Amino acid sequence: MATIPTPTSNTQSQRLADFETLTGALEYAAAGNAGYNFYDAKGNLRSVLPYQTLRRNACASAQKLAGLGLTYGERVAIIADTTPEFIELFFACRYAGLVPFAMPVPVNLGSHAIYVQQLRGMLESGQASAALANIDYINFLQEAAEGSRRLRWVGTPDQLGKLPVSDLELKPNHPDEIAYLQFTSGSTRGPRGVIITERSLMSNLRGIVRNGLEIRPGDRCASWLPFYHDMGLVGMVMAPMVAQVSVDYLATRDFAIRPLQWLRLISRNRATVAFSQPFGLKLCTLRVRDSDLEDLDLSSWRAAGVGAEMIRPDTLRNFAEKFAPAGFDARAFLPCYGLAESTLAVTFSQIGQGFQSLCVDAGTLVDKKIAVRLQAEGRKFSEFVNCGRPLPEHTVKVVGDTGESLPDLRVGSVLVQGSSIMTGYFNNPEDTSKTLRPGNWLDTGDLGFLFEGDLYVTGRRTDVIIVNGRNIRAQDIEELAEQQPEVRTREASAFGITDANDVTTIVLVIECRLTSITDRQSLTTRLQRLVYMAFGVNCLVELVPPHTLPRTSSGKLSRFAARQGFLQRTQLTDQLSAAESRDK
Amino acid sequence: MASTYNDILERLRFHLRQFTGPDVEITAQTDLINELAIDSVKLLNLIMEIEDEFDISVPINALADVQTVHELVNLIQRIKVARQ
Repeated sequence: MATIPTPTSNTQSQRLADFETLTGALEYAAAGNAGYNFYDAKGNLRSVLPYQTLRRNACASAQKLAGLGLTYGERVAIIADTTPEFIELFFACRYAGLVPFAMPVPVNLGSHAIYVQQLRGMLESGQASAALANIDYINFLQEAAEGSRRLRWVGTPDQLGKLPVSDLELKPNHPDEIAYLQFTSGSTRGPRGVIITERSLMSNLRGIVRNGLEIRPGDRCASWLPFYHDMGLVGMVMAPMVAQVSVDYLATRDFAIRPLQWLRLISRNRATVAFSQPFGLKLCTLRVRDSDLEDLDLSSWRAAGVGAEMIRPDTLRNFAEKFAPAGFDARAFLPCYGLAESTLAVTFSQIGQGFQSLCVDAGTLVDKKIAVRLQAEGRKFSEFVNCGRPLPEHTVKVVGDTGESLPDLRVGSVLVQGSSIMTGYFNNPEDTSKTLRPGNWLDTGDLGFLFEGDLYVTGRRTDVIIVNGRNIRAQDIEELAEQQPEVRTREASAFGITDANDVTTIVLVIECRLTSITDRQSLTTRLQRLVYMAFGVNCLVELVPPHTLPRTSSGKLSRFAARQGFLQRTQLTDQLSAAESRDK
Repeated sequence: MASTYNDILERLRFHLRQFTGPDVEITAQTDLINELAIDSVKLLNLIMEIEDEFDISVPINALADVQTVHELVNLIQRIKVARQ
């Protein structure tokens, strides 16, 4: 058992991400004494990985990987548990000129079969030549790898360590080569791997540590974010390393069960930078007891980054109110906006200012798609959090339905251009051309408006549903439904409805010809079960007669119209009632 | 001290009560997903309670093969035995 974490104050002078490549950054960090620290569910330090050791172990593993006979640029899939081994393997791939991608760990009850299917989808889509998982997950991985003709090696880090060392010379990486793939969806079919080059990555990391966080000596990070998410991997593994800052990790599972352990870690190690999705902050607020507050001192926390999903002002207010007695300073809130397709970050609000928001008239927003600032009290309003300005070398614009740029306060699609945009989805020109518009403008899929140079995100377009902080593609749910023999293609529509308490429920409307009550019940139950096993959420299934779902002129289902129809049929003026009746 | 199957079942049922009405009977065959509608957030609460109740650590990979109360009892029993 390790006893001492890596220190906060480093022995080397700080360089803020002015490196050409990730391994270049590690070569420098390895000369100091900062690094990664892993804590267990009880808050005990389980292992320490100084950047120096990381560099040594990664180089050694790189020689083993090279011995597998993989050629430069081939993909290596790694199941990303919160462990030192994952980070070592990730960097080993870069030293060996291979392209790693992280795969998730299973999180849902009874999800075995669907998880294996998800892994298989990623292995195929990323065209992996080798795949690794630790002992806890290797069985799932082997199952997923069965019958693959492309995979040449599947094993654990231990097994890799037992392979003979190759005498291949490790070459430095080039800024234009692919650094890694980031998968963006838990889809069972058609998961998409975002291609990020070393150049894009380093550009984004520079923006994050210099402009977003203004990293300085004395900073320390604490994180529970999964390594298979962009915010966890880029934001809390790579960004600290390229600025030679130490990090304390708690496994995502341990955070989810006991969220206060994260705050205790911040308190104990005097962390200054820690990010979360709004959902994580909610969990903390929900679970904390007054007696817990006495032992917490959150006064060191100067950058409480919030991102990865829509930020509700009340989530932040509730958190700040709850933790103010423990020394939490609301000025630490740092709302930001980003997505994997832009490496991670696009905009940051001004650090040290807390969160700002804008109240706009709710009626005008829906009817005219215009954000009119609230003049009079008593009108129904929506409040949106200011996500700040684009990082240097990035531009954000908001466009209307025909692609025309919209002025301030007009709501439209959020587009991003800049140096950290992906080059595309791996081996998927169709989705790439849908997402990267002419002029290399990335269509983020989000809706929002600009005001005085700052971005306000108002929602997702209807193709993504966010439940408990997880992005779920509507298409994935519809595909699950369409795999059932009773459901034909294009006869299922999925969307989310969100109640006044900000609880989102997934609704799945199916056009159904079954007449017997037993058959209908069997289909409903089966669909709920499948959605649960794949995504860990309950859903409301509505069976409707054929030709009920509204279609566009090209015959495609309109989820927006399906949602409107559902709300009318169920007469949900108060959407809460639907959310609560879902299990009955 | 090895806990017997029935002992674990009994203690587990107490924690599962929160997901049902008082008139629903929880048996070994009860389906956690369909009948108790345990979503991912409820699941986290339940795991925390199980870990505290049985003084064990539930590995997340094992839950992928759990769908019924019976399977959950077996898992708890396996973890307890492995610890001894």
